[in-house]
Amino acid sequence: MDGQNWQLSNPILGLVVIALTFLLFYIVGYISNRKSVSAKELYVGGANVGAITNGLAMAATYMSLATFLGITALILQLQVPFIMLWIQLILAIPLITIIYGTSLRRMGAFSPTHFIRDRYGVAASIIAALFMILVSIMYALGQMIGIAITFETLLGIPYVTGLIVFGLIIVGYITIGGMAGATNNAAIQMIIIALMFILPLAAIMKAIGAEGWYFPPLLYSDMVPAMLESLPTFFDYQFSPKWYFSIIPALTIGALGLPHLAMRVYTASSLKSARSAMTWFAFILGLVFSATYAMGFVGVYATATQGVTISSGDADKLTIILNLVYNPEWVTALVIAGAISAGLSTLSGNLLAIGALISQDIIATLKPDISQKLSLRIGFIAIFMGGLASILLALEPPAFLVVSILWAFGLAGVTNAPLIIVGVWWKEANKYGAMAASVVGGIVYIIVSPFVFPSIVLTGHAVTDGMGLSGAMLAVPISFILLIVVSYVTNRIPGLAGNLTKQSDIELIERIHGWKDIKPYRYNSTLGAGITVLVSLAIAIWALMPWGI
Amino acid sequence: MKAYKKEVQFTIWMTLAFIVVGNVGFIFSIFPTDAMLFGFPVMYIVPILMGWFGVFFLTLIAGKIGNKIDDEIDLENDSLGETDEVGRVE
Repeated sequence: MDGQNWQLSNPILGLVVIALTFLLFYIVGYISNRKSVSAKELYVGGANVGAITNGLAMAATYMSLATFLGITALILQLQVPFIMLWIQLILAIPLITIIYGTSLRRMGAFSPTHFIRDRYGVAASIIAALFMILVSIMYALGQMIGIAITFETLLGIPYVTGLIVFGLIIVGYITIGGMAGATNNAAIQMIIIALMFILPLAAIMKAIGAEGWYFPPLLYSDMVPAMLESLPTFFDYQFSPKWYFSIIPALTIGALGLPHLAMRVYTASSLKSARSAMTWFAFILGLVFSATYAMGFVGVYATATQGVTISSGDADKLTIILNLVYNPEWVTALVIAGAISAGLSTLSGNLLAIGALISQDIIATLKPDISQKLSLRIGFIAIFMGGLASILLALEPPAFLVVSILWAFGLAGVTNAPLIIVGVWWKEANKYGAMAASVVGGIVYIIVSPFVFPSIVLTGHAVTDGMGLSGAMLAVPISFILLIVVSYVTNRIPGLAGNLTKQSDIELIERIHGWKDIKPYRYNSTLGAGITVLVSLAIAIWALMPWGI
Repeated sequence: MKAYKKEVQFTIWMTLAFIVVGNVGFIFSIFPTDAMLFGFPVMYIVPILMGWFGVFFLTLIAGKIGNKIDDEIDLENDSLGETDEVGRVE
């Protein structure tokens, strides 16, 4: 079956299903349209979204097209290590919520950069916003690649044509119509994603003969012996503890800097509701993530024991191919609709973040007196341009689509997460430290990535460098060290005192933690900052030592 | 002072707990085992189960304690004297 053209024999069926899905999203958008007259309405849905809707929307925003396409491909390539890498991504919303989400919600921020502006001033916030735009575009790029691959599979039309035509249709849809009901739509998309992924997986498992087909996420152990027989290495960890440790700075901390995720916490109607949303998020995401590992397992199982051949160029299409092999065509059409939903919800989150970053965090910061109407218009233009940029970048995509998304996590972890985390918890952090951390950390991360100077990398292992695991293990600690040390030193240089806004920083920090008074002992631990510097230093040195991959 | 300490300790310990529960694979990479559970290798299924139910369970705890600490901060705010409310005590 090598070199087989994997596509629906009846593309009309797929198109009809996708058109119906879009119609549903449009109707939901129309019904829940409260007319976005203010920036607050536009970006955080008026900050009154209920816990279940918000939890589902958080999961949908997070669960990108990668769930349907990229992850299973990397499981096919890397096997169990990639599953171990993916598991911790579920920590994103819980950690954002407990570390800084509730504080920023209390502050009434639209985006993490909004906090950075109030905390560190205009210059630092613009640097952070520029990096966040890059992060959002890289993330949107992953979705664009996925959408083009999906349409390629669906219609058999060339990748580039599909990318441009459907990319523009989708970006136009998000820009014009998808905005108002973004959260309600994201919640519905989450349900579609879960159903369209798990039910077809159950049918595939039944066709293969798995006994636990009725609950695919966990009940496939009866396939383990056959798997071990034909592919004894499947469950091997392959890499050293250092590789597994590098996941924490790159992806666990990286997710804390992702703007479109944090924005979902601010849409909550109250702090209590934000906290129960994180529980819903964890439950539904755990369910679909586990099903994804099962799909990856079944994919490897099918290629190892069932004679299904998938060429490396088709690896990203694993989920769709399995459906084409084992399920009727109409099921595959539904799966494709699920994949498009997943891409759409994430893409709208990314583009919404780009709109907020450009119109609120850059233009409104530089020109605070522009009218509400103009600001909104700039937001819409920015959303469209962000989509366009990701289409253009997707013309020559990286080999696996998840790689660009995961690299973006690391960049967010280097340039934004330290500024927000330390900024919320340490009064001494100031704008000099923030700028040094963001600029130097960001440059180091970009230099050691394989994309700019392919010869300057830390491991030479393509996937490890490409996903930013090695780069973030060096650059994230550097960023924390610079932020703390530079702030500590510059706070003690009398000549710089006039440029710092110490009193208002202190008031801001007390206020966002819920205090009505100010106490010098709060959020002011030099010991805590010192320990953070020492731990960061040890991790950065470890990152520079040989990786042995 | 009490609510502040609780808030800081809660955030540090809860963050560490989440990181550990979500990165069980890292622990198994240091302490490998050949044991099996529910028909899967332990090193495969335990990280998956912890990454779902472990994290879910922690969010329940984190939500409860977080809400309680908010109430305590409010209580301490309410007990402030008129004089130093929204004061600029340095």
